[in-house]
Amino acid sequence: MSKKSLSIVVMSLLVIPFIISTASAKTLKIGSMSPLTGPYASDGTDIKNGVLTAIEVFEQQEGPIPGYDKIELFPQDTVCDPRQAVAAANKLINLEVVGVIGAYCSSSTIPASETLNEAKIVMITPASTNEQVTDRGLPYMFRMCGRDDDQAPAAARFIKESLNAKTIFIIDDKTTYSQGLADGVSKNAKAIGLNVVNHDHVNQGDKDFSAVLTKVKAANPDILYMSLQGYSPAALMTIQAKRMGITSQIVTQDAVFQPKYMEVAKDTSEGVYLTYGFTDPTTPEYKAFEAKYVPKYGKIAAYATYAYDSTIALLKAIKAAGSTDADKIKAELMKLDFKGASKHVKFKENGDSGSSYIAFKVEKGEFVPYWDPATGLIKK
Amino acid sequence: MDSFIQQLINGITLGGIYALIALGYTMVYGVIQLINFAHGEFFATGGYVGVICLSFFTGLGYMETHPIFCLTASFALAMMYCAYLAIGVEKIAYKPLRKESRLAALLSALGVSIFLSNGLMLTQGVYDKAYPSELFQNGFNVGIITISYLQILIVCLTAVLLVALNLLVFKTKIGMAMRATAQDKTMSALVAIGSNRIISLTFAIGAGLAAAAGIMVGLYYGSVRYDMGFLPGIKAFSAAVLGGIGNITGAMLGGLIIGMVEIFGAGYISGEYKDVFAFIILIGVLYFKPTGIMGENIDDTRV
Repeated sequence: MSKKSLSIVVMSLLVIPFIISTASAKTLKIGSMSPLTGPYASDGTDIKNGVLTAIEVFEQQEGPIPGYDKIELFPQDTVCDPRQAVAAANKLINLEVVGVIGAYCSSSTIPASETLNEAKIVMITPASTNEQVTDRGLPYMFRMCGRDDDQAPAAARFIKESLNAKTIFIIDDKTTYSQGLADGVSKNAKAIGLNVVNHDHVNQGDKDFSAVLTKVKAANPDILYMSLQGYSPAALMTIQAKRMGITSQIVTQDAVFQPKYMEVAKDTSEGVYLTYGFTDPTTPEYKAFEAKYVPKYGKIAAYATYAYDSTIALLKAIKAAGSTDADKIKAELMKLDFKGASKHVKFKENGDSGSSYIAFKVEKGEFVPYWDPATGLIKK
Repeated sequence: MDSFIQQLINGITLGGIYALIALGYTMVYGVIQLINFAHGEFFATGGYVGVICLSFFTGLGYMETHPIFCLTASFALAMMYCAYLAIGVEKIAYKPLRKESRLAALLSALGVSIFLSNGLMLTQGVYDKAYPSELFQNGFNVGIITISYLQILIVCLTAVLLVALNLLVFKTKIGMAMRATAQDKTMSALVAIGSNRIISLTFAIGAGLAAAAGIMVGLYYGSVRYDMGFLPGIKAFSAAVLGGIGNITGAMLGGLIIGMVEIFGAGYISGEYKDVFAFIILIGVLYFKPTGIMGENIDDTRV
């Protein structure tokens, strides 16, 4: 045997175990996209934790997906930056993931979903509430959370009907999400006869809001509507508003639904209202999620529950489809009809799964359901 | 008029914080002509050491009984920690490059900045850390103007630190040695001034002031997070350039101007463009006076 052919035999012997091992231990790859660094790192980490919990619970409850030994998550960092989000989407395409959970910021989800849809990969967002996410008619785009054009009228009605307010001062921080929502609230409020005294903007990453709050104080509106991306600027603004002696009721929205908000804002957060999708914490599905999540990652925050449900939905669909083909997974997703931890999951034709916005009030450091658009006051 | 005075107070508070951070940039630049981009991270680290100390004291219950002692101790510890951190950073990341081109040290500074801010993220977590103290959260009203005790504390402390720094630089022997090193390292070495020691000291003082600013920001805004150093760092650097980099008085002035312009821009024109106004002023000044308001000068006011 010549030296050359010997080396070929040795090489092939070396390679064979790898081929066999990949054939027998197949991994189902799914991706997640959320900001893991930068100003929204905390919210993004919640999403990643929700997805990880879902994989764990799914494997325990439903067993492995036929043909695969395990499910592996490839978490990507979007930094809430459109360019990074597209780069992350491309990376996930190269990794050949079957489905993607994410992103957090609407401004990241929108461009990333274009890329993923071209590559025929299913994407479910647990957190992007901007209308454009599903209104562009992308075939593989799904949404677990609610929509801003449902949230804005709910907020406006709550302000008028429950708080009996007449004047509103709106502040947003110019992200796709916060500005879209602020514009929606402004439009809806005007339509039902409320007076929007001013609509001002701050910048992402600001810490000092004293200038704009001085304006609020001078205007003395009934309601200060804070449309800010994330709990962190909201907590800062709440503290500064209360310290400055602003007595207007503060109303805010879903991105602030984070126990850390009360931890940072402490007493000043008492009596703040916000709109968020209703989740019943007493269902067995929620309890199952809670039992796995809390010991590992602490208190359940804004979008962890939706991330959990998105992942469960995706895995259920992949299992039912018995294939990694996006069209088959989509067909199974549309058939899904199950009780999730956050809500009853049933996707509509455009990829939405319905909104259930109610108003919460911060009482003794907890978010307490306060007002439902359908039935009025939940508790006095 | 009332809200004008209120905005003025807001502006002085913010400007004072920028001024404290800007001093670190300007002092280091004065001595070794390096823009220390890691300076914002000393500020963030100071804020974190502050929250750790104050949480510790609150846990022990001392915060109720001896608030002044706890605050002083926290300030002292944070300033010392950051001073030593800065000395360490200088020894590891800048000193070996002192003979190389300035660009090398600049890149090294950027690297240190990323390293420190990610270090904070990994060790302290991505979530905001809340300051435990509700002290000074209250204030008093003059007409409709609200002044919080914290604003008074910040303005007073900033003034004290600035005066102390001026005395140190212009009235003491160490200050004279610093100014001499800034002017001519070789010549000052000939008259037995250890330039390494002076450079370390400059870094230490700058970082100490930034750490003090970090705690004040934490107390004032109620929380700190790992990336808090970036934006104020950029603003303070602009303030240092605006005032004339290398010039201590210029940095103080620059900080106040940037803070004021930001607040008044947001207050009277539009909140979304406040950073734009700050930079328009910067560009305007640099256009007519490229060395900044006070000018980078070679006489003995430079450190």
